[in-house]
Amino acid sequence: MADVNDDNSAAVSVLNVGKQFGAATVLRDVSFNVAQDEIVVLLGASGSGKTTILRIIAGLELPNDGRIILHGKDVTNLPARERGTGVIFQNYALFPKMNVEENIAYGLKLRRKKRKEIRETVDRLVELVHLGEHRKKSPSQLSGGQQQRVAIARALAYEPEVLLFDEPFGALDAQIRGILRREIRGLLKQIKVPSIFITHDQEEALELGDRIAVLNSGKLEQIGTPFEVYNRPETEYVATFLGAANLLGGVMSGGKFTANDVSLETDDMTQFRDGEKVKLVFRPEDVFLRRPENLTQRYQKLTEGRIEEVSFVGAFERVTVNVDLPDKPTIIVTRPKTETAVFPLHHGQEVTVGLVRFRIIPETANNGTA
Amino acid sequence: MRGFDVVKPLSIVTMIVIMLPLVLLPLASIFIFGTSNGLGSFWNALMQPEAIFALKLSIVTSFWATIFNVIFGLFASYVLSRYNFWGRNALIVLISLPTAIPTAVAGFALLLLWGPYGTLGRLLEPQGVHIMFTAWAIILANIFVTFPLAFGVIKPVFDTMSRSLEEASATMGATRWQTFWHVTLPSLRGAIVSGALLTFARAVGEFGSTILVSGNLASRTQTAPLYIFAKFNEGQVEAANAIAIVLALFSFVIFSILFFARDWLEGD
Repeated sequence: MADVNDDNSAAVSVLNVGKQFGAATVLRDVSFNVAQDEIVVLLGASGSGKTTILRIIAGLELPNDGRIILHGKDVTNLPARERGTGVIFQNYALFPKMNVEENIAYGLKLRRKKRKEIRETVDRLVELVHLGEHRKKSPSQLSGGQQQRVAIARALAYEPEVLLFDEPFGALDAQIRGILRREIRGLLKQIKVPSIFITHDQEEALELGDRIAVLNSGKLEQIGTPFEVYNRPETEYVATFLGAANLLGGVMSGGKFTANDVSLETDDMTQFRDGEKVKLVFRPEDVFLRRPENLTQRYQKLTEGRIEEVSFVGAFERVTVNVDLPDKPTIIVTRPKTETAVFPLHHGQEVTVGLVRFRIIPETANNGTA
Repeated sequence: MRGFDVVKPLSIVTMIVIMLPLVLLPLASIFIFGTSNGLGSFWNALMQPEAIFALKLSIVTSFWATIFNVIFGLFASYVLSRYNFWGRNALIVLISLPTAIPTAVAGFALLLLWGPYGTLGRLLEPQGVHIMFTAWAIILANIFVTFPLAFGVIKPVFDTMSRSLEEASATMGATRWQTFWHVTLPSLRGAIVSGALLTFARAVGEFGSTILVSGNLASRTQTAPLYIFAKFNEGQVEAANAIAIVLALFSFVIFSILFFARDWLEGD
């Protein structure tokens, strides 16, 4: 990650951060940047250390190693109150005895701003987050979504260095989540404040983030655009955590992925030695079970297989296929309705398995980032 | 099922009948007796200088004990719910201990420490500092017997208060003190008021420890409960009863506030 250390334009730099709680290592050598108008999502399972990174950036936790830079200033040793970050807590942490206006004004009062300036800022923010008619209400009188907007406005009031969102949609029901997610992304793109979200929800990460950083057991596995991490996973963990993935073992030979009599051309073979054990990763939707003449140029035949099960799961059809490879592995294939209508499948049917997109990754799951 | 349910009125009546001789009639007696010679004589008994002094002394000493125990209760709640350390639970038990100790034992213990021949009193006596048999002794006794009351009300509220409120305040730029003043304290308002009322009500009625440490000197160290006891011993039942009525009414008012104002105390 050479780009991290010499990038002065970054709004937030997390540099080689490590954290131990007693004997347990929670974070090891985590580095990434966030640009001024960028949204980065830290994605990981519970216990991956994502909350700890957020708390370290906010100054609520001290790292054992590494540094935190906010807009060029090293804040590693500054207490939370001198960092000027805006944290949107999972439960929003609105002050229960203050109304909406007072919550928003709090950060400005602490900074001893003039009464007139405070009033103008509160007016502007109340309008920005569409809470004009609720400005005198106490937090307990607001819905979850409204409370979240107060929390954002409250943080924006003092022009924070960075907005830090701690699982902000965790407490809301599924339908509202989607709406709020798009609403907040729109708002953040409008105000151009660097933002970091943490979540364990891959759908949320894909939809919200300009870039996604995938964390696994305190290590940053991969950081990239949603397209990159989904379509070009660098580790087995990233491949399986973001969506469903099929994994098949093989060996590199002459710049090709080989297993039995299978041989796949690959354009990202440069990082692998000849004879190195690797894994082939591909998404269920990138598999085609139709005959070659009907398919596009990028198609490569993998092998033959036999249909084991066909199940209808709503928007698409899920097919499990037993493929002709060592140990007879089973892969999962999803097919859109347009495909199932013209090419129905049934149990026991012999098919040709072809791929339109795949990725070769090292066999060891924890090789870290490239 | 339609028809008259006999069990309901029967159980209510039974409950009241049990309460009558145990609680209701004794309380009623002081009011009946106190007003049997007309309100004029009640007023006369109440306006005796010794009686007024006893009431004032009770209120003043209870007031200072309440102020101290509420502030200490806040402080102890903060320390014991925010920090985890070895011996924390032992300290919680120690703070709660004074309610479990008989008040006479508490008074005796204070005498052994602060009395003229006591462990500390022996050192203070030559300096001309007298603690026992003064109003200070009454305040000390009140502090001792009501020690855990405010703490007991405030600590649970501290425990359930979300840490993220204080963290949010810190990230917004507040010092610890600003956070405590603007965020923590407002959420504790109800608990502080309840704790103070409980402490005050309990202190005003304290007898067992006060009689040992105060010296029970009329118009000097005689609190209202001691006045009742003294007048009764002297056979002046009417004088004792007048103060008894005042103390009973006072307790009644405080517990009514606690009961009916609970929504206000606990609300936003």
